Amino acid sequence: MSDRILRLQHVQIRVPDLELCTAYYTEVLGLVETAHDEGRVFLKCWDEHEHHSVVLRQAPTYGLDHMAFKVAELEDLDYYTQRVEAAGVAVKRYARGELGPGWGDAVRFDTPSGHTVELVHGMEKVGNMLPLFNPPPRPGNLVGIAPPRLDHIFIMAEDVEAATSFFTQVLEFRLTEQIIANDGHQIATWLERSHSPHDIAIVTGPNGALHHFAFWVDDWNAVREAADTLAYNGVTIDVAPTRHGATRGYTVYFFDPVGNRNELFTGGYWVDPDFEPITWTEEEMGRAMFYYAREVNERFFTVHS
Amino acid sequence: MGVLRLAHVDVRTPDLELSTAYYTQVLGLQLAGRDEDSVYLKGWDEEDHHSLRLRYDNRIGLDLFSFRVEREDDLHDLEKRLESAGCHVERLSRGDYAGQGESIRFEVPSGQTMELVWDLDKTGNILGKHNPSPIPPPDLPGIAPPRMDHLLINAEEVGEAYRFFSEVLGFRMTEQVLDANGHQLGVWMERSHSPHDVAIVNGPNGALHHFAFWLDDWDHVRKAADILAYNGVQIDQGPTRHGVTRGNTIYFFDPLGTRNEVFTGGYKPDPDFPMITWSEEQFGRGLFYYENVIAQRFLRFHT
Repeated sequence: MSDRILRLQHVQIRVPDLELCTAYYTEVLGLVETAHDEGRVFLKCWDEHEHHSVVLRQAPTYGLDHMAFKVAELEDLDYYTQRVEAAGVAVKRYARGELGPGWGDAVRFDTPSGHTVELVHGMEKVGNMLPLFNPPPRPGNLVGIAPPRLDHIFIMAEDVEAATSFFTQVLEFRLTEQIIANDGHQIATWLERSHSPHDIAIVTGPNGALHHFAFWVDDWNAVREAADTLAYNGVTIDVAPTRHGATRGYTVYFFDPVGNRNELFTGGYWVDPDFEPITWTEEEMGRAMFYYAREVNERFFTVHS
Repeated sequence: MGVLRLAHVDVRTPDLELSTAYYTQVLGLQLAGRDEDSVYLKGWDEEDHHSLRLRYDNRIGLDLFSFRVEREDDLHDLEKRLESAGCHVERLSRGDYAGQGESIRFEVPSGQTMELVWDLDKTGNILGKHNPSPIPPPDLPGIAPPRMDHLLINAEEVGEAYRFFSEVLGFRMTEQVLDANGHQLGVWMERSHSPHDVAIVNGPNGALHHFAFWLDDWDHVRKAADILAYNGVQIDQGPTRHGVTRGNTIYFFDPLGTRNEVFTGGYKPDPDFPMITWSEEQFGRGLFYYENVIAQRFLRFHT
């Protein structure tokens, strides 16, 4: 039996200035360009084996085109097509390579919160930046922050409960943490498939909006070094290095040159499939988001793309 | 589906009181329970009953290691696979062993006893589920690792043991060391999307090389070295870095000579991860990337 959805595989975002954003994502963030076509640039992190984990698409606005999750087996695309269609949502199937260079077989559909989700299998393997024979632990020619891999995405929904139940009931994500308002409704939820604190999180806000996407770094020291690199390059830091209550992660938030929010994340915990979810109350929401500051800056909840 | 992760390691100790003092005060595990001949311990972030059992015996050594399976019916499926591979499988019921329900036990080709279990008593971590602090109380004694991570066992025929773990139990190889004739000297295998849940290195059948606890980062590894040195614990290797797994590490011995490790770092392999191969002449670097020498005590000393 298949492991089904494994993890976040890539995000495709809109940028009004493709050249500027390509320079930022390759030279400051330190991703690697693997291909480009008309209006799109394909990027990956150094330790990723698959063709791309971030796609930048030239567009008049900024924001999220879609997020893609990797499935373990090709048959999982049929399995989830059936489940999504049974929930009354239309699914579109794409053949290998149809969506762009290096792309695998894929299906796409919309969530109740107006986001496009893709499930993908068989992305082209281009290898990480290390040999498979006697490899060193890290490549020597990295530039910028150079995170090893994409980690998670955080989206917004007017109705967090409806969006969450689509991910848990239809796509079989598991709830790890939630913030519950005093009247009992969910303000925010964290969901996983990869035994990590979250592969996707959902917070109250406009449908279709992207709050941020995040890259993994190895430890707190790498978070601090990244903040130095960001400051040196004049990047707007949204939230300086700190710690989350929810997920227990260490974090720094910042904006790409056109206003899409990025995060670097490390820490957290291992989750079994029968993990009992953690609940935060509305009064402790500040601590859940930023454990040291105990309050959320206004920009963090109101600015999105 | 199938095997999920390492659940607990059961070892023998000729001095239960001394070992308990070391594992609670220096390593900083939580005392989870006791019975007439055994002590049960766990890391502060573990939700299950225990991850380490110390049993009084007049010699040190490995009783067994136990892996959790992902779903209840995986136990039955794996039992059938083991029996068709010619394994004698013993079935245990709730009440036969502390902190868990039904489980199966069998011998792996290299002579160690392995257990598979799904039903573990959920006693909760130290933080709880309601507005939890991200850290345990700051006055926890010792190193206080959040959880158990992996173990390394020895086998006379590494290739044979590897085939059993891979073909019968569904483990995936992440890295291997090959000698000049193409024989496997060591294999690293995972089920939990980490560099390894169990590794096997050439050595006597039935032996335990070490078991390892997870730490969050390299800074915690350095602090652990300070705590070990302060307490007069014999450090075997490190702090240093592995070539194989890319992990950051310290090896040390408990008071009776069982090797422990604290480990962090590594990478996150998908099930279709392309395996990494090390050659025998680079084995030193594979083991300890900075030192680049094959440490004889490390390879020859086991429990």
